[in-house]
Amino acid sequence: MIKVIAACVIGAALAGGATFVATSLATESTATAEPVNETLYNYGDR
Amino acid sequence: MASVHGDGAWSGAAGRWTARLLPWAVGLVAGVLALGPALGPGYVLRYDMVFVPDPSLGTVLRGADGFPRAIPSDAVVAVLSLVLPGDLVQSLALSAVFAVGGAGAARLASRAVYRGGAAGGPAAGSLGAVLAPVAAGLAYVWNPFVAERLLLGQWAVLLGYAGLPWAVGAAARLATARPVAGFAGLVRALVPAAVGGFSSVVLTALTAGPVALRTDGAGGNRAGTAGEADRGVRWWGRAGLFALALVTASLPWLLPSLSSGADTDPAGVEAFAARSDTPFGVVGSLLLLGGVWNSGAVPAGYGEPVTASVRLLLCLVALAGWVWWLRRERPGFGTGLSAAALLGFALALLGATGPGRELLTWLIGLWPGFGPLRDGQLYVAPLALVQALGLGACVRWLAGGRSLRGAEASDGSGEGHRALGKGRGGIGSLGRVGLAVFALLLPVAVLPGLLWGAGGRLTPVHYPEEWRAAQAAVAADDRPGAVLVLPWSAYRGPDWSGRPVVVLDPATKLFDRRTLWNDDLVVGTPDGGSVVVSGEDARARRVARVLEPDPRTGMPERLEAGTLGALGVRHVVVSAPVDNRFWSGVEGLSVVVEGPDMVLLRVHEQHVSPDKAVIPGLEVTGGLVTVGAIIWSVARSGSSLVFQRSGPSAGSGARKEIPK
Repeated sequence: MIKVIAACVIGAALAGGATFVATSLATESTATAEPVNETLYNYGDR
Repeated sequence: MASVHGDGAWSGAAGRWTARLLPWAVGLVAGVLALGPALGPGYVLRYDMVFVPDPSLGTVLRGADGFPRAIPSDAVVAVLSLVLPGDLVQSLALSAVFAVGGAGAARLASRAVYRGGAAGGPAAGSLGAVLAPVAAGLAYVWNPFVAERLLLGQWAVLLGYAGLPWAVGAAARLATARPVAGFAGLVRALVPAAVGGFSSVVLTALTAGPVALRTDGAGGNRAGTAGEADRGVRWWGRAGLFALALVTASLPWLLPSLSSGADTDPAGVEAFAARSDTPFGVVGSLLLLGGVWNSGAVPAGYGEPVTASVRLLLCLVALAGWVWWLRRERPGFGTGLSAAALLGFALALLGATGPGRELLTWLIGLWPGFGPLRDGQLYVAPLALVQALGLGACVRWLAGGRSLRGAEASDGSGEGHRALGKGRGGIGSLGRVGLAVFALLLPVAVLPGLLWGAGGRLTPVHYPEEWRAAQAAVAADDRPGAVLVLPWSAYRGPDWSGRPVVVLDPATKLFDRRTLWNDDLVVGTPDGGSVVVSGEDARARRVARVLEPDPRTGMPERLEAGTLGALGVRHVVVSAPVDNRFWSGVEGLSVVVEGPDMVLLRVHEQHVSPDKAVIPGLEVTGGLVTVGAIIWSVARSGSSLVFQRSGPSAGSGARKEIPK
């Protein structure tokens, strides 16, 4: 039981680390700048 | 710890409760992680997602010209807002997407992947039987499709998406259930789609339709007993029952739409076609369940080469898991769902190719009802379910028959472990457990842009005081007449939202009477140009011809009270900061509310020639029939949360159906 739980924790920790790295990448990303201070707004931009 | 039987039925009372609640817990936890601050007080405004305090049910039912897109989702919101605060209703609606979707996919995986020990599959107490449904549920609600539609504010579409696993399960059950019981189960499963409206029902028809037609109650490993097969109906009967259930769920919007005479602008074919939002082109982006037309709806970091590459790998592994599971278990709904995923993928690609666009344009010209095909990415939804179940199968393969207590339980075939050649109970087996948990959480790791309010892009705000004052002033006015919304443009970037966010002008839904606003949709193109998709409100077109607004500001040069009154306008709302004070010195117009972001003007009564607005009887009748059918279907089972099994289970672990 303890071994199984430990394995689960290790798997979750690895996933957490991967999420942290990916979040860092996402934070640095500038791909989705929102439009600001426009008179009229589009429904969206392709 | 509770143990599980092969078909997902847990032994013992505590185990049964765990089996029932775990899928819901998966969805709810995912919802809290994804929505985070959006569940707090205030209204989350983004693109099409507009919730307002105290929405008017009568106004929603009276609607506008054109296709009834807000029916019945806005009507349901208005009814709930009679008893709950509007922001709480929004939180419930958004949470329901994750809870219903996650629970549905987890239950479908749990019921369908695992069967009794006699037929193979994980045995009692297996870790795989716990982890695989969790993986499926999490993957179904944590993917680019959900993130992008959420960032586009299409909560009603997502509600329909959340109902797909339930609809698939119910459609598959038509093959073995008695016709009335099967029909009732299907109607019950269609509740999310019924609330979601047109796009949700179309999505459900695409996903569950092939399942209803293809499911073979007498064939495959998942076949039931001869008696169960005999109770079911043949394919044409299932097709009839499925169509009848869809029509029943669609009546609130179907009846008014048939008489609306609305046109669909083919320009939307280009504007709303799927686009590439990863390094893998349109095909790759759609395979990853992304590819939404709006670049502003892409979650942060999703398109980065590293995360997109891992996501691609995850999708391919999930598809491999799906094929492995199809070959191993032959689930009754497998072929139908695979066909739906392929068909949906083809539909999604249509708008991305020249000939496909020509075909769509021709179809829309032929019949406006083909309009929903313009938004191609919508149709990767069945593929999302396939990938979620496939990932669940992969996790089940990895975790295998290891017992929750650490011992290796009997695994019918045990093929997973033998494939690796590892000793049972050895370090390799534990490594697989760790890998299974890692794979289970990988959808979150490769899409962190959905975390905690989509990285802060879903933040609740409070309506400014002058907005509420304008709402109250219009409600207090007992004279009839419409509300004209200016500037003459549908979307706003309100300063008071805290951070830049594009949203459909909330003023279009704020008042308890008909609003006249520009429902043309302007979509920017990569070359800096724009495509205008014409709106459907004929009365708004007449107003535009009279107003002749400046295309740069959306404001008219000047308006006369008589002109407004002739259009049936009693109030004019200016819902954004403007320099043009056209109302200054205009006789017959009085300022009721004036603030930096909201000005409410009232046209003097003698000028106004209001149109008579009535609630269409046909629409109300249709709605009542749908509500009645849902109540009947729920009453038959005693609970709306009873999952319709995807097919009869074989083996000793199967639960018997209680005759209705």
